[in-house]
Amino acid sequence: MSGNGQRRKVFNSFFYSFAGFLFLYSAYLFLSNIDQLFVTEAAIKTREVTDIWGEDREVLNQFAGGFWKDVYFWKSLNLTLAITLITTFIATILGIPTAYALSRYRIPGKSVVEILFSSLIVMPGSVIGICLIVMFNYGPLWEMQNWLGFKFAHSIFPGMVIASLVLSFAFGMSAWKATFDSVNPRFEQVARSLGSSRWRAFRTTTLPLAKSGIVAGIILAWTRAMAEFSAVLFFCGTFRELPASRFSDFTKLLQMDQADWVSVAVWAQVEFGNIEYGFALAFVLVFIGGISVYVMHRIGAKGYVW
Amino acid sequence: MRNVGLRSRGGWWPALCIGTTGCILAVYILLVTSNWIYLGWHDTLYFFSKSRMWERFWLTVWTATISTSISLFIGIPAGYALSRFRFPCRYLFASIIDLPIVVSPAVVGAFLFGITTRFPFDWISEFYGIYIGRNVYGVLLVQFTVTAAFCARLMKASFDMIPVRFEMVSNSLGAPPFRTFFKVVLPMAKNGIIASMIVVWARAAAEWEGLMLFVGATEGKTDIMPFAIYLDWNGGMMGWVTSMSIVCILMAVSAISAMKIIGGRSNVW
Repeated sequence: MSGNGQRRKVFNSFFYSFAGFLFLYSAYLFLSNIDQLFVTEAAIKTREVTDIWGEDREVLNQFAGGFWKDVYFWKSLNLTLAITLITTFIATILGIPTAYALSRYRIPGKSVVEILFSSLIVMPGSVIGICLIVMFNYGPLWEMQNWLGFKFAHSIFPGMVIASLVLSFAFGMSAWKATFDSVNPRFEQVARSLGSSRWRAFRTTTLPLAKSGIVAGIILAWTRAMAEFSAVLFFCGTFRELPASRFSDFTKLLQMDQADWVSVAVWAQVEFGNIEYGFALAFVLVFIGGISVYVMHRIGAKGYVW
Repeated sequence: MRNVGLRSRGGWWPALCIGTTGCILAVYILLVTSNWIYLGWHDTLYFFSKSRMWERFWLTVWTATISTSISLFIGIPAGYALSRFRFPCRYLFASIIDLPIVVSPAVVGAFLFGITTRFPFDWISEFYGIYIGRNVYGVLLVQFTVTAAFCARLMKASFDMIPVRFEMVSNSLGAPPFRTFFKVVLPMAKNGIIASMIVVWARAAAEWEGLMLFVGATEGKTDIMPFAIYLDWNGGMMGWVTSMSIVCILMAVSAISAMKIIGGRSNVW
């Protein structure tokens, strides 16, 4: 019997070691970069020599690039959170009826639709970005924008929402579809036979049963919108260096002018040479992502499709 | 779809659902096919006949294959451990394992900067004389980092679908745990594992954001296809960009179709 226990121990530690390796790798990946936040002598000297930062140099030479003193950081965070919330809202409004229809009704070519939405999840972000650019900047949609008088690409308001919506919707929709698939349609049929209308049957039986899954899908859609990078980079680009006259009064009122999508800002700052600043933004993103994924695990998100 | 019309009571709800689905589908299909519409048939054939395209394609395929096999080697046991074992602070550990796929991959690429110049990696690269950075090893490391956690996640879902009862029965009949794993669990999870493997491969072939800061693109060395799209886009070569994104779309769609044929479930994965 003790031999059996020994075997069990070896077995468990074998499998634990692989999970532990992944855990240690991931933890070390993030923790080993904490010293990137401290400014090195070399960076200070480089900033003196190149002299393109001017007055801001004193702030940039502080710990983590003094990111909390920079209005750009707060504006970017404001922009990203606001756009992701709008995106999640739109994705929920459009996604729940779509998921319900795909889950319950007989739609011709349903397997093709499923393949389309699933393949969006493994499509490169750059392809999504290029598709958006080609779709909106050529042909009839371009004519439509000329007629409307404003451009979708390289703009904050429709542009960033569209760019983050594409994948956020696809992820949220598959989670909601999985949730509706797991709810037995029989409850709804019983409610219908007792005289409820179709909408009332959905609202009083399926929706409460699917509640936790819907919440999980909302969190998933929001997290994916926060993790968006390439579609925003291709479709919207960066806004920091643009002149103030480029932004409308509405964007200025919302404190979104001359601000970037946070993950694009990480890239832009690191490329620009402000390594500490870029890593500070990156740690902010890691913190936000960590909280949302922890919440997702805690509520036991079914249909976790990452 | 009988009785779905607006006449039946509350019939606006199914009509709304189907209408929304139709609109969304039209937008997404237009999105995916826009490159074909833009490029036209003859230009597509022209770019597909160039060797530059297929060199990049094979680079993408073999890097994704290698990183997928490393990810599988680690991901299958890790997924089994995450699926079956119960330990304190399980959610915290699982969240940290999931972090590289949850934060933006561009950020992960920035973090890889730090890890390759620190303790185990600098020893390894010095000892073996490998430079991990602006070459193909850097590509493999980025792909591995992003897909390993993804693979563990998918494998956990595949193992979750198998009832624990079979293992219990096998153990109660006297089979040692390793024998149970290889003779009972793995054969039962086979379809799920193959389906997940295809998805992981597609995800590895789609990875490029991490390369942006960490690797950069060298023409003919590290320009895997999604990254080459960015590179040529900056060069203003719209024909190359659209034709390469057609290839990427075809890769993604065929991988997912293969997964569906094998019988993986896209929604719970």
